[in-house]
Amino acid sequence: MKIENIKNEFPIFDEKIQNNDLVYLDSANSSQKPKVVADKINEFYTKQFSNVGRSVHYLAVAATNLYENTRSSVQKYINAKDKNEIVFTKGATEALNLVANTLGQNYLKEGDEILITELEHHSNYVPWHFLRKSKNIKINFAEMNENGDVSLEEIEKKITPKTKVIAITHLSNVTGAILPIKEITDLAHSKGIIVVIDGCQGAPHLKLDMQDLDCDFYAISCHKMYGPTGLGVLYGKKKWLEELPPYQGGGGMIREVKKDSISYGELPNKYEAGTMATAQVIAFDESIKFMESIGVENIMQHEADLVEYGQELLQKNNSVKLIGSPKNKGGVLSFTLEGVHPHDIATILDEDGVAIRAGHHCCQILHDKLNIPASARASVGIYNTKDDLDKLNDSINNCKKIFNLK
Amino acid sequence: MNLKELYQEIILEHGKNPRNLGKTVDFNKDAKGNNPLCGDNVHVYLKLNGQKIVEDISFEGSGCAISMASASIMTDLIKGKNENEAKEIVEDFLGMIKENPELKSEYLQEDEKTKLMCLSGVKQYPMRVKCATLSWHTLVSAFDDKKKEVKTEN
Repeated sequence: MKIENIKNEFPIFDEKIQNNDLVYLDSANSSQKPKVVADKINEFYTKQFSNVGRSVHYLAVAATNLYENTRSSVQKYINAKDKNEIVFTKGATEALNLVANTLGQNYLKEGDEILITELEHHSNYVPWHFLRKSKNIKINFAEMNENGDVSLEEIEKKITPKTKVIAITHLSNVTGAILPIKEITDLAHSKGIIVVIDGCQGAPHLKLDMQDLDCDFYAISCHKMYGPTGLGVLYGKKKWLEELPPYQGGGGMIREVKKDSISYGELPNKYEAGTMATAQVIAFDESIKFMESIGVENIMQHEADLVEYGQELLQKNNSVKLIGSPKNKGGVLSFTLEGVHPHDIATILDEDGVAIRAGHHCCQILHDKLNIPASARASVGIYNTKDDLDKLNDSINNCKKIFNLK
Repeated sequence: MNLKELYQEIILEHGKNPRNLGKTVDFNKDAKGNNPLCGDNVHVYLKLNGQKIVEDISFEGSGCAISMASASIMTDLIKGKNENEAKEIVEDFLGMIKENPELKSEYLQEDEKTKLMCLSGVKQYPMRVKCATLSWHTLVSAFDDKKKEVKTEN
């Protein structure tokens, strides 16, 4: 599939948004959906629906096969060693809660330390914060440098003999910094530290190879990968998923239930209690196929071109201040406009059909560090073009006019 | 009025030249409002005389153009009103910004109503309503001597 024609695959771009063509620059928040994904959800509900993994009738078996096909596709896409290392969750947030909670139950002890970074969004901080209360765990922060990046050296500096877990983002959703997670993982493992990667922004935009990366856990948000909402993936090394206790109890995750004892199912069922987001899982297979049909290398190249173009464009624009200039930068352009609150920017851009996000992007600690309450953020996906970034820049200029900025 | 016109009007009128910005020297009532998600914050100062008439009112704060312009317009209108009149105007404004098509209070002159109505464009943006209402809730809190910081975010 040619990347220039990709917009045609997304029906939303045929819509007029308040009489404007849509310039969608909010993919770091959530991506738009290709027609194949929406169609698959419709097809499953109208032609193939059944619950999975329970009944033995025709539809149940067929649905179960579709559900498990997605697991295999995800395994292949991220090059996990074993299909049972793929656990479906209701989102990356639940995936990270699962890891923090089960490590807290079985592995971490009072006084242990967890190292995160100032870049983390709330999903990779709050779940660990719970352990401060329940387990008296200490959380340390690796600091962001002036480029909006966290270096390997900074991570190394913040590791103590008590550090048991390093939980870090693959790609910052504010500065766009791509962290050296392979090097961090090697370093951590040399000290017996577990590595948890928040892949919310990494998975949609970067090549993933779990066996090469060797991290212990990797959390994925499917709705940011051109897939359905209400779905996430937790990759976990088999030895950890086997060793750690279940996260939630209910149907589907048990083997035998008696009045005086309960035994739990094998992987991955152990972590998939209750009726899962079945249609979403099945449709997510189409997202993976869609991304594969473009090719992850092509996606990365296209988005790198866009970021470079967008960065140059905004740097040339007086009064725009870009946040973060990391060496390896993903498709995120966060900025402020002198004297204009980001919410005003976003509202004015919206009038031109340009959809961006304004706020703290679930990263209050990072914004505190920058000493700003909020920022405006344009983020790209596979469907964006340089023309979209030109329109962003034009719209920013409109905004400047309204606020009498030069 | 579309949003661009709204912005143009309120920025020219109040963003560039806010009324009653600062701290009333001899205030006897005050309250703070803060929307941490937005980063909007406001501090309202009141000087009430023995008849509970607002002799002076001012505000300090920072935030988006809508919250600052709203605070500026509010202080302009409230000066000289007594507490009951002021509270009725607040109710009227909050009703208008949420659902009512127009302002009804007899304590507002026609030109004052026109000024306030320029904020009605915010209605189309439910997520921005909290910006426009922060200073108004904070004003009520100042009248009532409430110590707790006001929030209009969930």
